[in-house]
Amino acid sequence: MNSEPILSIQSAEIGFEDSRPLLEGCNLEIRPGEIVGIIGRSGIGKSTLIRTIAGLIRPLSGDVLFSGANISHSPRGAIGLIPQRLGLVQHQTVGYNVLMGALPNSSWLQSILSLPSAEMRDTTRKAIAAVGLEDKTLTSVNLLSGGQQRRVAIARAMVQNPQLLLADECLGELDAETARDIIGLLKAIVEDHGTSILIVDHNPVRARTFCDRVLQLRGRTIIPLSEEEQDETTALPQYRGDE
Amino acid sequence: MMGEAQRFFQFVLRRPILRTAIVLSIMAILTILHLEITLSRLGDAASNLVIIAGEAWPPDFSVLTNRAAWAYPPCEMQTDWMCSPAVLGMTQTLEIAFLATIFGMAMSLPLAAAAATNLSPPLLAQVVRQILAALRVLPSLIWALIFVILVGIGPLAGVLAMTMYTVGYLGKLQYEALEGVSREPLEVARAMGLPRWQIARFFAIPEAANSLISQMLFMFEYNVRHGSVVGLVGAGGIGWYMQYYLEPFKLYDRVLALVIVMYLVVIIIDQISLRVRSQFIEDDEHIPRPKWRGTIVPWTESSDD
Repeated sequence: MNSEPILSIQSAEIGFEDSRPLLEGCNLEIRPGEIVGIIGRSGIGKSTLIRTIAGLIRPLSGDVLFSGANISHSPRGAIGLIPQRLGLVQHQTVGYNVLMGALPNSSWLQSILSLPSAEMRDTTRKAIAAVGLEDKTLTSVNLLSGGQQRRVAIARAMVQNPQLLLADECLGELDAETARDIIGLLKAIVEDHGTSILIVDHNPVRARTFCDRVLQLRGRTIIPLSEEEQDETTALPQYRGDE
Repeated sequence: MMGEAQRFFQFVLRRPILRTAIVLSIMAILTILHLEITLSRLGDAASNLVIIAGEAWPPDFSVLTNRAAWAYPPCEMQTDWMCSPAVLGMTQTLEIAFLATIFGMAMSLPLAAAAATNLSPPLLAQVVRQILAALRVLPSLIWALIFVILVGIGPLAGVLAMTMYTVGYLGKLQYEALEGVSREPLEVARAMGLPRWQIARFFAIPEAANSLISQMLFMFEYNVRHGSVVGLVGAGGIGWYMQYYLEPFKLYDRVLALVIVMYLVVIIIDQISLRVRSQFIEDDEHIPRPKWRGTIVPWTESSDD
């Protein structure tokens, strides 16, 4: 594994108001191909942390670096985001939503004319097939189940092929079987492309099972799980992708 | 007696609705006095109405059959009814409304994206909003007067006038729709590092597509209704033919026939538009389907029909 971190957060204060940061003294490093989980109770600032790493919110202080440079200067398409409610374009088809992942790599002319290249279309088709939605390509995403919508968001990330994928509660309240399928797809992204994944999950047992490392938000900062907590969150076989 | 007056006064003061009603009534009376409105004028209007109604009834539907030799632009068709004032005027009104809606939509959509605060920098959004507001300040009739002066009488002035108003009006509806789209798809696009125009083009506009299409159809309806008004100042359409009969001939029976034709066409357009728009309204299971009866005679349709 490459030792250079793809993401590095150094002494960052995160939040919306200087006087009342949600998180303080945050330090985090993620290396290429690593899956890191973050757990924490509701409202503690997990989504705000993800949005800050995605470059949507500026840190109040400290540094958030992508491959050693400020996150705001990260290359186009290098960061992928799967938000809590997935961020699919409603009333558009599965194919449309997945193809959106190819936008960062499209030329100006292709975008203006809405003419994706044959390669983009092919990549999109393969990603849709990889998540098992070939027969839903022309179906509106509104008509899909929660699990299927998550597959669409993952297929979009596959097409985008980011170096760092941020997934905010993308497993939600899925049943164990569906969650295991989604975890399998996320692992496939890591294995095929060496993508790093930072995933926020409210379920510590599940996170501990499939992540290389699990951290927690507690006391307004990022800390590792204690030994006791690691024992409490022994991996459950139903979430193993290799079961 | 004094005690009763005082009690009544206190009773009135304690009730905000009564206080407001009294203040508004005093303001209305002062305004009427300032405008020198007298009841005798209403009496004149009533007698004029009787005269006009007598001259207008029965409507002269020859406007649907006789060729309008004086039509502008000249009609080249061989069949007389196709060159009649009603057919020519209504066709022109529909054409003006159609072109104004299409041109207005094409111009307003990029402006709306620039005016939406979730898609544009705040300063640019404010500037574009002011431009859209300025376009809305003048009603289409005043725009028509301006363009009749600039390009002369005829449908071109109507198209330009209606387009200007459409841009201002539709632009406002559109930027409000764009600002109402879900935050998350836009954040996905921003995290990808996409430029603002791609975020608007591929995420915000498709997300708001249903509202945008519905608004465009509503604008077409609106333009059909107002397309008849701009004709009164020479900007083409059925209004121009009405004006021809009104001044200097005062052929009220023909004007009434044109009004009836316009009314029928407008309700047909409204009905088609309502039905098409209802396909684009989200969560529309609680919205009753429009009915012909309710459109033609609105008060016969109850709200829970």
